[in-house]
Amino acid sequence: MSRRYVRIKICSPTTVTEEQFAQALTVSIVKYFGEVGLSRIAPKLIRFDSRKSSVVLAFAKDHVVEMQTALAFIRQVGESEALVLPMRTSGTIKGLGVS
Amino acid sequence: MFLRVDLTCAKREELLKLLRRFRPTFDIIGVKCTNHRLALVAARDRRVDLIFFDSATRHVWFDDAIANVSNATLELNLSTVFEMANHLILTKLMKDVRIARRHNVDMVLSSGATSPLLVRTPIQLAAIAEILGLSKQQAINGVSTIPSHLLNANVERRSRNYVEEGVKTIVG
Repeated sequence: MSRRYVRIKICSPTTVTEEQFAQALTVSIVKYFGEVGLSRIAPKLIRFDSRKSSVVLAFAKDHVVEMQTALAFIRQVGESEALVLPMRTSGTIKGLGVS
Repeated sequence: MFLRVDLTCAKREELLKLLRRFRPTFDIIGVKCTNHRLALVAARDRRVDLIFFDSATRHVWFDDAIANVSNATLELNLSTVFEMANHLILTKLMKDVRIARRHNVDMVLSSGATSPLLVRTPIQLAAIAEILGLSKQQAINGVSTIPSHLLNANVERRSRNYVEEGVKTIVG
Protein backbone atom coordinates (compact mmCIF):
# COMPACT_ATOMS: atom_id res chain seq x y z
CA MET A 1 0.00 0.00 0.00
CA SER A 2 1.30 3.39 -1.02
CA ARG A 3 1.70 5.73 1.93
CA ARG A 4 1.97 9.42 2.76
CA TYR A 5 3.75 10.89 5.75
CA VAL A 6 2.79 13.89 7.80
CA ARG A 7 4.83 15.80 10.36
CA ILE A 8 2.71 17.14 13.18
CA LYS A 9 3.28 19.63 15.94
CA ILE A 10 1.24 19.24 19.13
CA CYS A 11 0.57 22.40 21.11
CA SER A 12 -0.55 21.55 24.61
CA PRO A 13 0.03 23.08 28.05
CA THR A 14 1.06 19.66 29.38
CA THR A 15 3.43 16.99 28.09
CA VAL A 16 1.72 14.57 25.76
CA THR A 17 2.65 10.89 25.69
CA GLU A 18 2.68 8.64 22.64
CA GLU A 19 -0.23 6.56 23.96
CA GLN A 20 -2.35 9.63 24.65
CA PHE A 21 -1.83 10.98 21.14
CA ALA A 22 -2.49 7.60 19.51
CA GLN A 23 -5.68 7.29 21.54
CA ALA A 24 -6.86 10.80 20.60
CA LEU A 25 -6.17 10.20 16.91
CA THR A 26 -7.95 6.85 16.87
CA VAL A 27 -10.99 8.28 18.66
CA SER A 28 -11.17 11.20 16.22
CA ILE A 29 -10.95 8.98 13.12
CA VAL A 30 -13.47 6.47 14.47
CA LYS A 31 -15.89 9.26 15.47
CA TYR A 32 -15.96 10.91 12.04
CA PHE A 33 -15.10 8.11 9.63
CA GLY A 34 -15.92 4.92 11.51
CA GLU A 35 -14.03 1.68 11.94
CA VAL A 36 -13.98 1.15 8.18
CA GLY A 37 -12.48 4.60 7.74
CA LEU A 38 -9.85 3.81 10.34
CA SER A 39 -8.79 0.67 8.53
CA ARG A 40 -8.75 2.51 5.19
CA ILE A 41 -6.74 5.46 6.49
CA ALA A 42 -4.47 3.01 8.33
CA PRO A 43 -2.57 5.54 10.44
CA LYS A 44 0.76 4.42 11.85
CA LEU A 45 2.92 6.30 14.29
CA ILE A 46 6.45 6.42 12.91
CA ARG A 47 8.17 8.83 15.29
CA PHE A 48 7.15 10.53 18.48
CA ASP A 49 9.30 13.17 20.11
CA SER A 50 7.65 14.30 23.34
CA ARG A 51 10.41 16.83 24.01
CA LYS A 52 9.74 18.70 20.76
CA SER A 53 6.04 17.71 20.67
CA SER A 54 6.70 16.49 17.15
CA VAL A 55 5.09 13.44 15.56
CA VAL A 56 5.54 11.68 12.24
CA LEU A 57 2.56 9.67 11.03
CA ALA A 58 2.16 7.40 8.03
CA PHE A 59 -1.22 6.82 6.42
CA ALA A 60 -2.79 5.57 3.19
CA LYS A 61 -2.02 7.82 0.24
CA ASP A 62 -5.63 8.21 -0.93
CA HIS A 63 -6.89 9.52 2.40
CA VAL A 64 -5.01 12.79 2.90
CA VAL A 65 -8.23 14.79 3.29
CA GLU A 66 -9.67 12.41 5.88
CA MET A 67 -6.42 12.44 7.81
CA GLN A 68 -6.21 16.25 7.82
CA THR A 69 -9.83 16.45 8.94
CA ALA A 70 -9.36 13.94 11.73
CA LEU A 71 -6.33 15.89 12.96
CA ALA A 72 -8.32 19.14 12.83
CA PHE A 73 -11.05 17.63 14.98
CA ILE A 74 -8.71 16.64 17.81
CA ARG A 75 -9.34 19.06 20.65
CA GLN A 76 -8.10 17.08 23.60
CA VAL A 77 -5.07 14.85 24.09
CA GLY A 78 -4.97 13.08 27.41
CA GLU A 79 -6.49 15.29 30.06
CA SER A 80 -5.68 18.65 28.54
CA GLU A 81 -6.80 20.68 25.54
CA ALA A 82 -4.46 20.49 22.59
CA LEU A 83 -3.94 21.89 19.13
CA VAL A 84 -2.65 19.48 16.49
CA LEU A 85 -1.02 21.23 13.56
CA PRO A 86 0.09 19.35 10.47
CA MET A 87 3.34 21.04 9.43
CA ARG A 88 4.19 19.17 6.27
CA THR A 89 2.90 16.25 4.23
CA SER A 90 5.17 14.27 1.95
CA GLY A 91 5.53 10.98 0.11
CA THR A 92 8.79 10.21 1.94
CA ILE A 93 10.00 10.62 5.50
CA LYS A 94 13.05 12.44 4.14
CA GLY A 95 10.74 14.95 2.48
CA LEU A 96 9.34 15.95 5.86
CA GLY A 97 12.71 17.39 6.80
CA VAL A 98 12.96 15.57 10.13
CA SER A 99 16.42 14.91 11.46
CA MET B 1 -3.74 45.22 8.78
CA PHE B 2 -7.35 44.80 7.77
CA LEU B 3 -10.42 45.69 9.74
CA ARG B 4 -13.48 43.52 9.91
CA VAL B 5 -16.78 44.05 11.65
CA ASP B 6 -19.56 41.54 12.20
CA LEU B 7 -23.03 43.01 12.40
CA THR B 8 -25.79 41.34 14.34
CA CYS B 9 -29.25 42.81 14.41
CA ALA B 10 -32.86 41.75 14.02
CA LYS B 11 -34.42 44.38 11.77
CA ARG B 12 -33.79 45.53 8.22
CA GLU B 13 -33.74 49.25 9.15
CA GLU B 14 -31.22 48.60 11.87
CA LEU B 15 -28.95 46.70 9.46
CA LEU B 16 -29.12 49.45 6.82
CA LYS B 17 -28.29 52.05 9.44
CA LEU B 18 -25.29 50.02 10.63
CA LEU B 19 -24.10 49.49 7.06
CA ARG B 20 -24.25 53.23 6.36
CA ARG B 21 -22.23 53.82 9.50
CA PHE B 22 -19.58 51.12 9.18
CA ARG B 23 -19.04 50.59 5.44
CA PRO B 24 -16.61 53.49 4.99
CA THR B 25 -14.51 52.43 7.99
CA PHE B 26 -14.09 48.67 7.65
CA ASP B 27 -12.51 46.50 4.98
CA ILE B 28 -14.77 43.54 5.53
CA ILE B 29 -18.36 43.60 6.72
CA GLY B 30 -19.94 40.36 7.82
CA VAL B 31 -23.58 39.95 8.78
CA LYS B 32 -24.78 37.28 11.13
CA CYS B 33 -28.17 36.26 9.80
CA THR B 34 -30.54 35.97 12.74
CA ASN B 35 -33.75 35.69 10.72
CA HIS B 36 -34.77 34.93 7.17
CA ARG B 37 -35.83 38.47 6.23
CA LEU B 38 -32.57 39.91 7.47
CA ALA B 39 -30.64 37.21 5.61
CA LEU B 40 -32.39 38.21 2.38
CA VAL B 41 -31.60 41.90 2.90
CA ALA B 42 -27.97 41.18 3.80
CA ALA B 43 -27.48 38.81 0.87
CA ARG B 44 -28.92 41.35 -1.58
CA ASP B 45 -27.05 44.41 -0.28
CA ARG B 46 -23.81 45.01 -2.15
CA ARG B 47 -22.21 46.65 0.86
CA VAL B 48 -22.22 43.32 2.69
CA ASP B 49 -19.18 41.15 1.99
CA LEU B 50 -19.95 38.07 4.04
CA ILE B 51 -23.06 36.48 5.42
CA PHE B 52 -22.91 33.70 7.95
CA PHE B 53 -25.28 31.60 10.02
CA ASP B 54 -24.96 30.24 13.50
CA SER B 55 -24.92 26.49 12.93
CA ALA B 56 -25.52 25.57 16.55
CA THR B 57 -28.54 27.60 17.60
CA ARG B 58 -29.91 28.89 14.37
CA HIS B 59 -33.57 29.05 13.45
CA VAL B 60 -32.68 30.34 10.03
CA TRP B 61 -30.57 28.67 7.42
CA PHE B 62 -29.15 29.29 3.99
CA ASP B 63 -31.75 28.38 1.40
CA ASP B 64 -32.45 28.74 -2.31
CA ALA B 65 -34.25 32.08 -1.85
CA ILE B 66 -31.22 33.63 -0.19
CA ALA B 67 -28.79 32.00 -2.60
CA ASN B 68 -30.79 33.31 -5.58
CA VAL B 69 -30.40 36.96 -4.61
CA SER B 70 -27.00 36.71 -2.99
CA ASN B 71 -24.31 39.22 -3.89
CA ALA B 72 -22.43 38.38 -0.73
CA THR B 73 -20.05 35.53 -0.04
CA LEU B 74 -21.19 32.78 2.29
CA GLU B 75 -18.85 32.28 5.21
CA LEU B 76 -18.66 28.78 6.64
CA ASN B 77 -17.73 29.28 10.21
CA LEU B 78 -16.27 26.00 11.41
CA SER B 79 -15.86 26.89 15.08
CA THR B 80 -19.16 25.22 15.97
CA VAL B 81 -17.96 22.07 14.25
CA PHE B 82 -14.85 22.02 16.42
CA GLU B 83 -16.71 22.86 19.59
CA MET B 84 -19.61 20.45 19.33
CA ALA B 85 -19.38 18.43 16.19
CA ASN B 86 -22.43 16.28 15.78
CA HIS B 87 -24.25 14.89 12.80
CA LEU B 88 -26.93 17.64 12.90
CA ILE B 89 -24.43 20.47 12.52
CA LEU B 90 -22.50 18.61 9.86
CA THR B 91 -25.74 17.89 7.97
CA LYS B 92 -26.72 21.58 8.07
CA LEU B 93 -23.33 22.66 6.81
CA MET B 94 -23.44 20.05 4.04
CA LYS B 95 -26.85 21.39 3.01
CA ASP B 96 -25.51 24.97 2.95
CA VAL B 97 -22.62 23.85 0.76
CA ARG B 98 -24.96 21.97 -1.60
CA ILE B 99 -27.22 25.01 -2.06
CA ALA B 100 -24.29 27.42 -2.47
CA ARG B 101 -22.73 25.18 -5.12
CA ARG B 102 -26.05 24.90 -6.96
CA HIS B 103 -26.32 28.70 -7.16
CA ASN B 104 -22.61 29.40 -7.69
CA VAL B 105 -22.35 31.39 -4.48
CA ASP B 106 -18.76 31.94 -3.38
CA MET B 107 -17.78 30.45 -0.04
CA VAL B 108 -15.00 31.35 2.35
CA LEU B 109 -13.91 29.18 5.25
CA SER B 110 -12.98 30.44 8.65
CA SER B 111 -12.07 28.77 11.89
CA GLY B 112 -14.04 31.37 13.85
CA ALA B 113 -11.55 30.83 16.61
CA THR B 114 -12.21 32.46 19.96
CA SER B 115 -9.10 30.97 21.56
CA PRO B 116 -5.64 30.02 20.21
CA LEU B 117 -6.44 26.32 20.63
CA LEU B 118 -9.32 26.60 18.16
CA VAL B 119 -7.17 27.95 15.35
CA ARG B 120 -6.76 25.58 12.42
CA THR B 121 -4.43 25.75 9.43
CA PRO B 122 -5.87 26.68 6.02
CA ILE B 123 -5.10 23.18 4.77
CA GLN B 124 -7.15 21.69 7.62
CA LEU B 125 -10.05 24.05 6.89
CA ALA B 126 -9.90 23.12 3.21
CA ALA B 127 -9.88 19.42 4.11
CA ILE B 128 -12.99 19.83 6.26
CA ALA B 129 -14.67 21.77 3.45
CA GLU B 130 -13.93 18.91 1.07
CA ILE B 131 -15.53 16.51 3.50
CA LEU B 132 -18.57 18.83 3.63
CA GLY B 133 -18.97 18.63 -0.14
CA LEU B 134 -16.84 21.29 -1.80
CA SER B 135 -14.58 20.31 -4.65
CA LYS B 136 -10.86 20.36 -3.95
CA GLN B 137 -10.38 23.56 -5.97
CA GLN B 138 -13.32 25.33 -4.32
CA ALA B 139 -12.03 24.36 -0.89
CA ILE B 140 -8.57 25.72 -1.65
CA ASN B 141 -10.08 28.90 -3.15
CA GLY B 142 -12.19 29.33 -0.03
CA VAL B 143 -9.09 29.84 2.08
CA SER B 144 -6.94 31.62 -0.49
CA THR B 145 -8.11 33.47 -3.59
CA ILE B 146 -11.69 34.33 -2.60
CA PRO B 147 -10.81 36.03 0.73
CA SER B 148 -7.82 37.71 -0.88
CA HIS B 149 -9.93 39.08 -3.78
CA LEU B 150 -12.52 40.28 -1.30
CA LEU B 151 -9.91 42.14 0.71
CA ASN B 152 -8.17 43.64 -2.31
CA ALA B 153 -11.45 44.84 -3.80
CA ASN B 154 -12.47 46.50 -0.55
CA VAL B 155 -9.08 48.06 0.06
CA GLU B 156 -9.27 49.51 -3.44
CA ARG B 157 -12.81 50.70 -2.80
CA ARG B 158 -11.63 52.56 0.29
CA SER B 159 -8.71 54.20 -1.48
CA ARG B 160 -8.79 57.87 -2.47
CA ASN B 161 -8.62 57.14 -6.20
CA TYR B 162 -11.76 55.05 -6.23
CA VAL B 163 -14.74 56.67 -7.95
CA GLU B 164 -17.08 53.75 -8.52
CA GLU B 165 -16.86 50.13 -9.61
CA GLY B 166 -14.52 49.98 -12.59
CA VAL B 167 -13.70 53.70 -12.42
CA LYS B 168 -10.73 55.20 -10.60
CA THR B 169 -8.65 58.35 -10.80
CA ILE B 170 -5.26 57.65 -12.35
CA VAL B 171 -3.74 61.16 -12.28
CA GLY B 172 -4.77 63.29 -9.35
